[in-house]
Amino acid sequence: MPRITVDGVELEVPAGRTILQALDDAGLLMNGVDIPHYCWHPKLSIDGSCRLCQVEVEGAPKLQIACNTPVQDGMVIRTASEQVRTAREGVMELLLVNHPLDCPICDQAGECKLQDYAFEYGVTQSRTREPRRALKKHVALGPTIVFDQERCILCRRCVRFCREIPQTGELAVIGRGDRSVIETFPGAPLENDYSMNVADICPVGALTTRDFRFKIRSWFLQDVPGVCTGCARGCNISLSVANNKVYRYLPRRNDAVNDTWICDAGRDSYREIGARDRLKHASVRGENGVLETVSTDFAIQEAARRLARIAAAKGAGVIAGIASPHATNEDLFTFRRLLEALGAETRGVAVVRGASDALLVVEEKAANAAGARAIGFGDAAAVLDRLRSGAVDALIALGHDIAHEQFLGGTQGLEKLDTVVVLDSHVSELQRVAHVLVPTRVAAEKHGTLTNCAGRVQRVRAAVEPAWEAHGEGEILARLGAALGLGGFDGRFDVREVGKALSASLPAFEGIDLETVGAAGRPLATAGASG
Amino acid sequence: MVISEDARARIASEIAKYPVKRGALLPALHIVHEELGHVSTQTAVELAEIFEIRPGDVMEVVSFYNMFHATPQPRHHVHVCTNLSCSLRGSRELLRALESYLSVDDHGNTADGRIHLGHEECLGACAYAPMLRVGDVYHEDLDLEKAKRILDELD
Amino acid sequence: MLSIPYVTGYLTEHFGDDEFTQIGGYEKRGGYRAARKAMKEMTPAEVIDLVKSSGLQGRGGAGFLTGLKWSFMPVETDKPKYLVCNADESEPGSFKDRILLERGGHQLIEGLLIAAWATGSEKTFVYVRGEYGFPARQLQRCIDEAYARGYLGKNVMKTGFRHDIVVQRGAGAYICGEETGLLESLEGKKGQPRKKPPFPAQYGAFGMPSTVNNVETFCHVPHIVKNGAEWFRSIGTEKSPGNAIFGVSGHVVRPGLYEFPLGTRLDEIVFEHAGGVPDGRKVKGVIPGGMSMPILPAGQLDVPLANEFLRERKTMLGTGGIMVMDETTCMVRVACVITYFFRDESCGQCTQCREGTGWLNKIANRIERGAGHAEDLDILGDVAGKMEGRTICAFADAAAWPVQGLLRHFRGDFEEHVRQKKCPFTQSFEL
Repeated sequence: MPRITVDGVELEVPAGRTILQALDDAGLLMNGVDIPHYCWHPKLSIDGSCRLCQVEVEGAPKLQIACNTPVQDGMVIRTASEQVRTAREGVMELLLVNHPLDCPICDQAGECKLQDYAFEYGVTQSRTREPRRALKKHVALGPTIVFDQERCILCRRCVRFCREIPQTGELAVIGRGDRSVIETFPGAPLENDYSMNVADICPVGALTTRDFRFKIRSWFLQDVPGVCTGCARGCNISLSVANNKVYRYLPRRNDAVNDTWICDAGRDSYREIGARDRLKHASVRGENGVLETVSTDFAIQEAARRLARIAAAKGAGVIAGIASPHATNEDLFTFRRLLEALGAETRGVAVVRGASDALLVVEEKAANAAGARAIGFGDAAAVLDRLRSGAVDALIALGHDIAHEQFLGGTQGLEKLDTVVVLDSHVSELQRVAHVLVPTRVAAEKHGTLTNCAGRVQRVRAAVEPAWEAHGEGEILARLGAALGLGGFDGRFDVREVGKALSASLPAFEGIDLETVGAAGRPLATAGASG
Repeated sequence: MVISEDARARIASEIAKYPVKRGALLPALHIVHEELGHVSTQTAVELAEIFEIRPGDVMEVVSFYNMFHATPQPRHHVHVCTNLSCSLRGSRELLRALESYLSVDDHGNTADGRIHLGHEECLGACAYAPMLRVGDVYHEDLDLEKAKRILDELD
Repeated sequence: MLSIPYVTGYLTEHFGDDEFTQIGGYEKRGGYRAARKAMKEMTPAEVIDLVKSSGLQGRGGAGFLTGLKWSFMPVETDKPKYLVCNADESEPGSFKDRILLERGGHQLIEGLLIAAWATGSEKTFVYVRGEYGFPARQLQRCIDEAYARGYLGKNVMKTGFRHDIVVQRGAGAYICGEETGLLESLEGKKGQPRKKPPFPAQYGAFGMPSTVNNVETFCHVPHIVKNGAEWFRSIGTEKSPGNAIFGVSGHVVRPGLYEFPLGTRLDEIVFEHAGGVPDGRKVKGVIPGGMSMPILPAGQLDVPLANEFLRERKTMLGTGGIMVMDETTCMVRVACVITYFFRDESCGQCTQCREGTGWLNKIANRIERGAGHAEDLDILGDVAGKMEGRTICAFADAAAWPVQGLLRHFRGDFEEHVRQKKCPFTQSFEL
């Protein structure tokens, strides 16, 4: 492995990498070694046109661009010399000559690489007296992206992204010289399943999402690391939070899962958190057959009463459990323990499947399908068989995927059940047949872990609190267990304790819990296997 | 279909000369300009099909080169070189006089749309300045009278 | 109209003879014998060594040693190898390649054949600037004649060697004269220069090993093969051997082409051969090598035209485009013409070039129309300095140097514009 020296520090780096790549591999780029850059991106082809990443390479007569200079054994690099400083100032000054003074109205302000680098590496005073280039200020490139031609610094990341990642190539640089403008072809707008990534990679406020436009200033937002729950890929995200509200998802880099990308549908899925159809109060069905609003505690007690009654009458074997593939590993482990303690053997998980693509989107449209399976919930088909044969008389359902057309296709077969207990985050048609309905939290509102389609266990955090009473499935089930008087249930749910218990009980989860999972997640000990 | 069969045949014979199809794109654009005068969006779509690239890729190329156009053009392109050697010998005064002679608008087009009169960078005729080109043909060692006669002879 | 050089040499001596432009006439004067000699009596390696020892430098502006460039081509490879002839001549002040194409097509073809043999190249792409319609047609006519006579095609001169020549027209973009910008354009894309590494000999036309040389460079080759390296070295200077074709234009009595050995003095060409400045005026400045090269003031024209001497005066040979300016010339207006050109022709990739060429032009225009300030001169020089040496290709240098040259020798013109708030040169060419 070649050894190079960067600002006096010796590093061993993999061969065949450029300076920027090697520093990025080592986790040092802009994190110990500052080489500001625009056009380079770790997941796109090398461009070499912004000229900002110039560094001194001993022995070379001119400054070299770090993005396209292969490392060689013995190379000595200086990133902070006078020569480099002057070169950076030159690039920054020239970029600002035509860039509009839009900061007060630009969404990018506060998370803008032009602002940041101008402040760090640029000149403090503008010398230009010339009128700036006047171009179009809000071009609808497509349904999701707004483009300001004047702000564009022509780093071409967006053009390369569309050509290389979704490979739809909608964007092109039209014209020549300082008349160059990025455009789409008439009738071929920027419209692909990953379109909004261009707003992330745009270093300035030229490309912004319509979704986020003028919503909130970036400096009010706090970024909470989490995981997208749109499908089983589990793309890593940052939830941007202010005022106890999630304003947007941004992809978070994880080279083992989603690189730096997220699909548009996943990015949009933050809306589910604050959706109007959130289940906001518990209810129980009264004697008159009508659902009445109650407290969560009352609902849990009622559920316990009904389940105990049917177990006493017909045996616990008639109780079935349908796990939610959206719940956390800790929630699901508690569910399994509850069912086992009850003596209810019939259990499964219903995972709705949809379209997939060659990039990130996978068929299973839930973030913890693999986790559910690893924890011992097999396909829901087994439960449905027993349901149809009349062997089931009580159902504890987490989520409402069971009513999807890929499973029951409605609520038929559930009306005749003695007891239906539903724990769910959103309103659904299960309301028609539920005897007890308890609101739950979504992944963004609780702590726990999720297991993605490749068996990688990843951490979620409570980024926001629901404005109504709702608890995680695990907590509700722990209280239900205590209400049922089951051994091993004292009504408490401490997610860390549960995590440790899960880790100790199932070989697949050995050594994995909230603390050890880390920022990038950890694969199951038997990745891909089910428990 | 906007691109004729004849043009397509000529394009095909150009493609045969190159190890990669796209190498014939500039020759194809010249052929298309001879026939149609410019590259419309429909033309770009058809060229994109022939070369198995995207229409946006075609327009990228069209927009980069002075001799290619994305909008309909007057029949005659008359360009007076106004680079340094020609300017030293009065080419800019000549151009202004010709603009006045033809009464061209802001875009350099005559009112009847037949002629576009513009300036151009060095055409490789520096010793024979001032000069202009009409399409492919150079007219060198000009004075105002000679230049006017050249314009008069355009149909 | 394009006339034959006022002073000819081994490259252009027969250009006045129409017969020479046809293959029969060319052969009669010994044409294609050098190619025959190279292909039948010399190995490719021997040809490369010969060209190396001749010291021939590229005549496209960069002056790189030709034999050395050819030696970069891989010898053992499965990949097809290509020659690329740069006939994009767009450097303002240059029109020498034009005549080489119009009157010397066979000489070029012969040079290409020898180069092809030396490098093992199976095809040449001649990239001719789009506006050179007539020269391109003349060349194609010669190529067709060469095919008919067996000098091109599957079995060149019955040696078993195959070589084809394809002519492609450019479409009006100066940057396509840059080696890798040309390759991009040849491939049907925008002519935006490539990052180097990789170099054309590894990754050239269509990704295959390629050698790119200027038209004139190839034209010297048959003469070197015919007469030997020592003969070539006996012409010109020690470091810059051989003849070059100079194009003289601007304020001179006899503007036109002049073939001279490298090292001939600039003042000799301008005053003795081209007749000096007309109408009894005095010379003010001369650009020696095409508009990218810094200007020389009247007092510094006694310089031999070869890079080793021109560099001492902070300028270069470039493409030998000698542009003469007399005392009526306003150098600020010259700056406007020059900066407009570079702004227009920048491909737009690199930050410093795209934004810098625009800024330089805007400042020059503002100074010219009388709205300049003293600090603008410093900004001009500073911006030019920030563009130099920091971009993907040398276009930014080419854009910066002329401005630096004008400020170095004619700062007074700029200062007067600022002071008087108008152009003081009442007799200058108009903008």
